[in-house]
Amino acid sequence: MTNYFNTLSLREQLAQLGKCEFMDATEFEDGVDYLRGKKLVVIGCGAQGLNQGLNLRDSGLDVSYTLRASAIEEQRQSWKNATENGFTVGTYEALIPTADVVLNLTPDKQHTAVVNEVVPLMKQNSCLAYSHGFNIVEEGMKVREDITVIMVAPKCPGTEVREEYKRGFGVPTLIAVHEDNDPRGEGLAIAKAYAAGTGGHKAGVLMSSFIAEVKSDLMGEQTILCGMLQTGSLLCFDKMVEKGLSAGYAAKLIQYGWETVTEALKHGGVTNMMDRLSNPAKIKAFELADEMKDIMRPLYQKHMDDIMSGAFSEGMMADWAKDDEKLLGWRQETAETGFETTDVTDQDIPEQEYFDHGTLMVAMVKAGVELAYETMTAAGIKDESAYYESLHETPLIANTIARKKLFDMNSTISDTAEYGCYLYNNACLPLLADFMKDIDVDVIGRGLGLNDLGVDNQRLIEVNAVVRSHSVEQIGATLRGYMSAMKRIV
Amino acid sequence: MNPNEPAQSNNSSVKPDIIFDACTIQFNEQFKLNRVSWRIASDDCWVIVGGNGAGKSALAATFLGEGEHLSGSIHNAPPIESVQAVSFEVQSKLIDQERLEDDSRILDVIDEGSTAAEILQRGDCDTTLLPALVERFGLQALLDRSFSKLSTGETRKLLLVRALASHPELLILDEPFDGLDVDTTAVLAAELAQRATSQAMLLVLNRWDEIPEFVTHIAYMSEGELQHTVATNNTKQVAELKKLLHLKTTDLAIPGPLVDVNHSHSKKLNPDDPLVQLKQAHIRYGEKTIFEHVDWRIDPGEHWQLYGPNGSGKTCLLNLITGDHPQCYNNDILVFGYQRGQGESIWDIKQHIGYVSTALQWEYRVSISLLNVIVSGFYDSIGIYQKPSSSEKAVARQWLAVLGMESRANEPFNKLSFGDQRMLLIARAMVKHPALLILDEPCLGLDDMNRSQVLAMIEMVCAGTETTVLYVNHHAQDKIAGIHRSLDLGNLQR
Repeated sequence: MTNYFNTLSLREQLAQLGKCEFMDATEFEDGVDYLRGKKLVVIGCGAQGLNQGLNLRDSGLDVSYTLRASAIEEQRQSWKNATENGFTVGTYEALIPTADVVLNLTPDKQHTAVVNEVVPLMKQNSCLAYSHGFNIVEEGMKVREDITVIMVAPKCPGTEVREEYKRGFGVPTLIAVHEDNDPRGEGLAIAKAYAAGTGGHKAGVLMSSFIAEVKSDLMGEQTILCGMLQTGSLLCFDKMVEKGLSAGYAAKLIQYGWETVTEALKHGGVTNMMDRLSNPAKIKAFELADEMKDIMRPLYQKHMDDIMSGAFSEGMMADWAKDDEKLLGWRQETAETGFETTDVTDQDIPEQEYFDHGTLMVAMVKAGVELAYETMTAAGIKDESAYYESLHETPLIANTIARKKLFDMNSTISDTAEYGCYLYNNACLPLLADFMKDIDVDVIGRGLGLNDLGVDNQRLIEVNAVVRSHSVEQIGATLRGYMSAMKRIV
Repeated sequence: MNPNEPAQSNNSSVKPDIIFDACTIQFNEQFKLNRVSWRIASDDCWVIVGGNGAGKSALAATFLGEGEHLSGSIHNAPPIESVQAVSFEVQSKLIDQERLEDDSRILDVIDEGSTAAEILQRGDCDTTLLPALVERFGLQALLDRSFSKLSTGETRKLLLVRALASHPELLILDEPFDGLDVDTTAVLAAELAQRATSQAMLLVLNRWDEIPEFVTHIAYMSEGELQHTVATNNTKQVAELKKLLHLKTTDLAIPGPLVDVNHSHSKKLNPDDPLVQLKQAHIRYGEKTIFEHVDWRIDPGEHWQLYGPNGSGKTCLLNLITGDHPQCYNNDILVFGYQRGQGESIWDIKQHIGYVSTALQWEYRVSISLLNVIVSGFYDSIGIYQKPSSSEKAVARQWLAVLGMESRANEPFNKLSFGDQRMLLIARAMVKHPALLILDEPCLGLDDMNRSQVLAMIEMVCAGTETTVLYVNHHAQDKIAGIHRSLDLGNLQR
């Protein structure tokens, strides 16, 4: 198989990358009608698979699960998940031939094997749905011509997809139709009904392309989302310990600090996150972020270039072929870091202190979000996609770190994200080494400790203006506006 | 029943505390005071509050020797002859007596009966105080009039003056402000305030805003029981009691359903069909069976209570009905005319159900105003994600009024006390007048006062609407009038 993206002309590549449009709520007035009475069969019963299936069934659709015969015989966890939730479970041979839509919700790594096994069993003129387009775009999977291929990708973890649905809402969702596989022109109708079935239409649906989704998703997850937070955690922890702060305090400030500062990001973007700092700290964070952006820009560009050229996927797939040799080695290294092995202090850290003692962390988040966004949009990805794959998802990963630290965070996220995260971390740690030499506890661990919080008016105005006028803030305000307009009318 | 707070007496020389020890006192065939335990210190000034028929006046009347003691004992009560009471009962007894002594029906003479002055003189009054009080209450002009010709308000004033002037050992004032004009109300209030430290008083009041500032303790009566006693310096408890009294005493109707129903998808239910029919219902996790063989039919208007020990699957069973348990799809369930698993959506089911549970309260963690919490009941959502209509908001406001939270419509839900949140969620569940209201341990985690509030609210719903109530509780004392059928998951008939 060859990289699908690389088979396209530059013109087609740009057209696909630039595909991203916020769909109007009226487009979903028919709800799940297009899929009513059709048979949906889900492959994979992990967090996405199970929770999407629960939502689709509660929306009135006919959902069942198919597992490998061995998983059923051995009553593995996936079998338990499906049966205890009252779903019909059957083998590929039993259920796939009956399916109108097959929902492939397995991990990326398994896609080639699963799709090769399943497609021959699928009936004529049925539909294959993905939640991530890696298999199609990077691995160049060719699906039988009579089959419609679509993608419905909720931009939140599976548990949240379910929780929001139960509340009567949903999570922002990206949909796409693979143009090479839309023989009857019904791909969009199926994708819309599917998104409505998961509740996604209530929170906003972006019409995108397989390519835009894959390229932006890979870029976001390996740079700002997982990579930057991992590198930042290690650098900040080591610096605090080096400067004599208690290791337990350092570990806590970092483990919960990302979550706390990005909570501010979630509500009001980089602007609000920066506004949580004192004026002198804000100016300091601004300057540190600028400095880091200059240092890291070539790294972000390299990641984007490798994603676009397919070099990243090639490297990762080579590691898949070697049973994840590199990945598992890097995972082990992560487990042995000082941050990971230190128990956090019981000492209570007030919410504001995470900002006041974590100026550098704020600067790192700002630099990472802006760089990832700038690099993506410069590569032809639309603002909306770039926003969702950078700023929007950062709090989700930060929340995972708060609950699990780095080792478990890496084991939880997708295989592509984890591999990319280590690549980034391995390059970024040495890159920031010189920068870190000049860093002291005033920006990480102890706070500026100023009695006089005065600043120069002109400088503050300048900093605020630059922060606020960044394109990620503009599109962020618009997209969060859609969300909150729907979420809290009054 | 709550033990009373210890008396805050700084005067140790005087009388011992009056103690009611588990007194059960029969008043008539229908009414008795039930196991009342109460302690009144000599410095206390108590007010008894409660709904109509709660036993407020009866409790006060025990000091006048009324009622037949069945069990328990009263210690250190003042002698009956040294107690003076002003109440509707005393007033009407006096009027009856005057009528009885009116000879004109038998003798062909005009009998004017006793004059007001004569009535006053019959009391053992302080002769210097009496004229002063007569003047303050504006009774001079009435003294020569026949008592039987006086208006209700005038006789009430007369009795008040007589009682006040006689320095009783205990002065019982049962609804003393009833029937008084504004000016007299003010005079009485001032008189009482002035005497608060020198005259032992027991007040019975219906209206919260009439409780004078000098009152030190509040006793709350309900159904013949002394349910709560609260010291007035405990502001938190006092606030809770006020809300409870509001529910019990304010003549509030349950707000009606929306007339302008913009939920056009709302399905009309056939009144002859069961609301719920479960056949051989079961829940299994792997090898473990939570329950099985449950057949249950709930018809419209049949209120049910569901019992069962912890772990017997009460909540699971309810969730089969609401559609929140995923195994509802492999059970034989007919709800509101939908055979489950035939293409209906969960929202088709939920529109007919109001639901309250502790779990819901935990899940209701969105930033939202009180008004919008109630509005969200129209959409069965946690938070609101659609623009509510003005009529929906109007109905929600009426519900806030029922709860006595009208003025707090825009306050954030998450800043509310646990008990108030629960009340609001019951209003949310009822706002659309669902066919079925499911209350899964609605009193769980609530203190006595809040528990009483919740039960009062549920009784209003049972009595005042078409909604069928399904109530889960394992506390025997949290019974609800009007629920007669029960299913016990711990003791299933196979």
